[in-house]
Amino acid sequence: MATLFDEIREMGLKQAAIAKLDDVVERVTAGMNINDIRAMLRGDEPRKPNPRLRPHADSFWLHIRPSFYHAEVTHIYPTFRLGWLSTFAFVWETITGIFLMIFYTPSPDVAFKNMWEIMGNVPLGQLMRDMHRLGAEFMVLVVALHMLRTFITGSYKKPRQFTWLTGMLLLVFTLVLSFSGYLLPWDQLAYWAVTVAVSAAESHPGPAFLGKNINLLLRGAPVIGAGGLLRFYLLHVILLPLLTGIFIFVHYYKVIIHGHSLPPGREAIGEDTAKRVPRDERVYFLPDILTAEVMWTALTTLGLVGGATFFYHAVIESHADPLVTPLHVVAPWYLSWSQGWLKWLFEVPFTGQELDSKVIVAFGIIPVLAVMFFVMPYFEVGRSRRYADRRVGLSVSMAFITFMLISNWQGSPEFRVQSTAEQEVQQRIMPQEGHSMVLEVPYEEWVPGTYLATEAEIERMIREDRPHIAETLELYMTALYDWSCTNSGSDLYRPCEVTDDGLYTNGVKIDVLVDPYAAIVVKQAQENMLEIKVQIKVDDPNAPVDFYYIRYRHQQGGYEIY
Amino acid sequence: MQVKIIISTVAFMLTMVIMGYAALREPARMETYTLMYEARSMEAGATIYHNNCTTCHGENGKAEECYNGDGEQIACAGRSLHNADLLCGATSKRMSDMQWLGSKHAFIAGTIAAGRSANGMPTWGAEYGGSLEPYEVEYVTKFVLNWETEALCSQPTLPPPDWPETVAELPAGNAANGEQLYSIDLGCAACHGNLAEEGSNAVGPWVGNFQNLDNVRIEGYTAADYMYESVLLPSEFISPECPTGVCAGPPSGMPDNFGTRMTIQDMADVMAYVLATETFEGNQTIVYEP
Ligand code: HEC
Ligand code: HEC
Ligand code: HEM
Repeated sequence: MATLFDEIREMGLKQAAIAKLDDVVERVTAGMNINDIRAMLRGDEPRKPNPRLRPHADSFWLHIRPSFYHAEVTHIYPTFRLGWLSTFAFVWETITGIFLMIFYTPSPDVAFKNMWEIMGNVPLGQLMRDMHRLGAEFMVLVVALHMLRTFITGSYKKPRQFTWLTGMLLLVFTLVLSFSGYLLPWDQLAYWAVTVAVSAAESHPGPAFLGKNINLLLRGAPVIGAGGLLRFYLLHVILLPLLTGIFIFVHYYKVIIHGHSLPPGREAIGEDTAKRVPRDERVYFLPDILTAEVMWTALTTLGLVGGATFFYHAVIESHADPLVTPLHVVAPWYLSWSQGWLKWLFEVPFTGQELDSKVIVAFGIIPVLAVMFFVMPYFEVGRSRRYADRRVGLSVSMAFITFMLISNWQGSPEFRVQSTAEQEVQQRIMPQEGHSMVLEVPYEEWVPGTYLATEAEIERMIREDRPHIAETLELYMTALYDWSCTNSGSDLYRPCEVTDDGLYTNGVKIDVLVDPYAAIVVKQAQENMLEIKVQIKVDDPNAPVDFYYIRYRHQQGGYEIY
Repeated sequence: MQVKIIISTVAFMLTMVIMGYAALREPARMETYTLMYEARSMEAGATIYHNNCTTCHGENGKAEECYNGDGEQIACAGRSLHNADLLCGATSKRMSDMQWLGSKHAFIAGTIAAGRSANGMPTWGAEYGGSLEPYEVEYVTKFVLNWETEALCSQPTLPPPDWPETVAELPAGNAANGEQLYSIDLGCAACHGNLAEEGSNAVGPWVGNFQNLDNVRIEGYTAADYMYESVLLPSEFISPECPTGVCAGPPSGMPDNFGTRMTIQDMADVMAYVLATETFEGNQTIVYEP
């Protein structure tokens, strides 16, 4: 074995260095030297034996990737790259998440402040936070679509049942990952969404100690506090990423064992030819699939970075407060369906006895559906993967998606809300939490005084070039129109009718305001702070209302931009 | 493949351009967000103040106009917080009066959290058994500190009236006016309670028996002498009869700024009301020096 010194003496410094470099490259790539890489990038045919196959045998990273694909599965259809994008999203979340971890402490005393410090004190901190949150939503979306596509192309069928099963695990992990991250900013949105979800465990129909203990296990105390936050944090940054990482490997391994399923029309019914790829239909991982993946990585990164810079900002509401339940607690969009189901009324057939919807949903519908999804491929054993032969299955899946979308809508506050008309109106223009038209009016546009919700006032605002107030009053009037009726023949509202229960209705909403007097009253609270009061009064003796709701608006509040 | 590599390169470069753009605007953006967090903390503090503090300190913090839960006007029990003595200067007058050596922020936050229960300021911090979490105390502190403005601190302090050195020189008092001052405008009732009702005093001594106080607390003082000195210079002598026993002090739990807040006529009116006489007899010389 010649030493480096001997080589230099023999070949000269330059040659020796090149030889050494070549050697290093070959070791790092587990089999390809510099010339092989250059040939590959030029698009030359590989030499024999093909050095581009060796990394698949010898390197860790490539051993779970097939060395060649069937040309048919390398186009957008049938994979739509969704599996790959799911992996990408997971890696993306890991990187941005580690960045956030550096500046975040999972304690109720500082977590909320940390979030603001990430946005105000850490260079590119807000971008990282936005990218993490956007990436999380992207991941849920992509994983769900990937599942849909493997269903539609029948790829879950024998022999890939277990791939589907590990995929289902990954779906569950993805959802729980997202949701456990939801609590971490420790704002009202987070706190109450999680409190409501976890409280479902309390409704456990079995022995009381079970529900109580499940609850305790998750919350760490009777209410979510320091212990609960720490638990959710640990779930979010250790347990779930670990499980997800491991199962992504299992999932990938299954994918190369069975090969990517071909488009259904490409093989005879009941056959699986994915592993028998004729020579002329092979597309090698190196370089073609790899460059395609690099391209998708670059494009998706561009999309997420651009999206987070220009369009998407993760919200933060006010500090979590266990004593104040916000008017509308909303689940994130990917779980809104469950909230929709909670609003349903369940009755025992015939007797009409009402059942607790929490029990039915949390311990009935969701577990049953989940089990059905997990084991579906072992029971749905139709031989054909072709669309024409699977009309029932495909129709059922479409019906299910429609059903989920409707459930999702039912999860929103639009559906079966319980609050009063005046609160709904207030919630439209100046909600307790979240975007508020009133607060977004630039500070300088306000002058202390009373702003009536009338056409004349809107015109005055437009004349005086105060467009945001005009817009706000317009929304105010629209909300009032939705939630009011008139007994005095006013042309502003629909006429009042009285329901059988003796409540006023305008034909659309029940228990509405009768000819309300509505205004926004602005006062100077401090030199640089306004007190803004939404005021609604009804004189009607049968349904009097004297309502107001106050929020404060500091000059530097910045609601126009965030 | 070449096309893919070109697309990748272009996308990568665009990503870097966007990141560069984001990085360039970072300093300004971070500044805005830092201010925003301050601002929103103060807004949250305003709500906490509105819900917990206005019955004693008034909506505008000046302890001039206070209302109970039913909207009836009552005497303000608290001190003025929207006040140059409390807020102006690195070591404000109140801080030096209380011999506070720490920061102004800590003085106010500490007072709110721990309270001064002997003087009628409740304990608010959850760590001391109150109802506000540490972050809420922080928010309301920021709100109180936000009353410190240039306008407030550059206001010339009005010179106090030229207080006579004996009570006999005071003008004749009007008891009806005095009752209004005692019960509402100056807020004496919030601490001393109702004259007609012994035991209605929350903080200071009950003063309903003051007509008969000649020579009782201090040898040689008439009731009028004693009352005059108590209001102008509360820390001069500390009364033994607070609801919880001997009063705390010096410094006295009674604000020492009545000498600058009251006119000479106000003093006569309040004394007329408490002592049930129109003119005052005295034999002491009482020199007001704040
Ligand atoms: C029950 C009446 C009452 C309420 C309610 C009350 N205070 Fe006070 N507060 C007082 C009194 C009385 C004092 C004067 C104590 C003293 O002189 O030592 C005081 C003093 C203070 C001081 C110190 C002022 C100084 O000059 O030393 C601050 C700051 C303060 N209060 C803030 C608050 C805040 C903030 C709240 C609401 C969370 C509040 N207070 C609610 C009665 C009250
Ligand atoms: C924040 C509560 C507070 C307010 C407001 C207040 N006092 Fe007092 N006052 C006290 C306390 C505490 C004492 C006892 C300590 C001392 O002697 O200085 C006291 C003592 C007195 C005494 C002596 C009582 C005795 O029994 O020796 C008089 C007289 C008096 N106050 C009058 C007034 C008048 C008049 C007003 C309104 C102009 C007033 N106080 C406002 C708290 C208050
Ligand atoms: C974190 C989540 C997931 C990741 C990272 C992931 C990744 C992948 C990848 C890279 C493939 C290769 C083919 C392709 O791109 O489509 C694949 C295939 C597959 N996945 Fe997933 N997947 C995830 C979740 C799921 C879910 C939720 C299901 C369904 C319940 C699922 C079922 C399948 C099946 C059946 C295949 C085989 C498809 C075929 O051979 O054509 N996966 N997965």
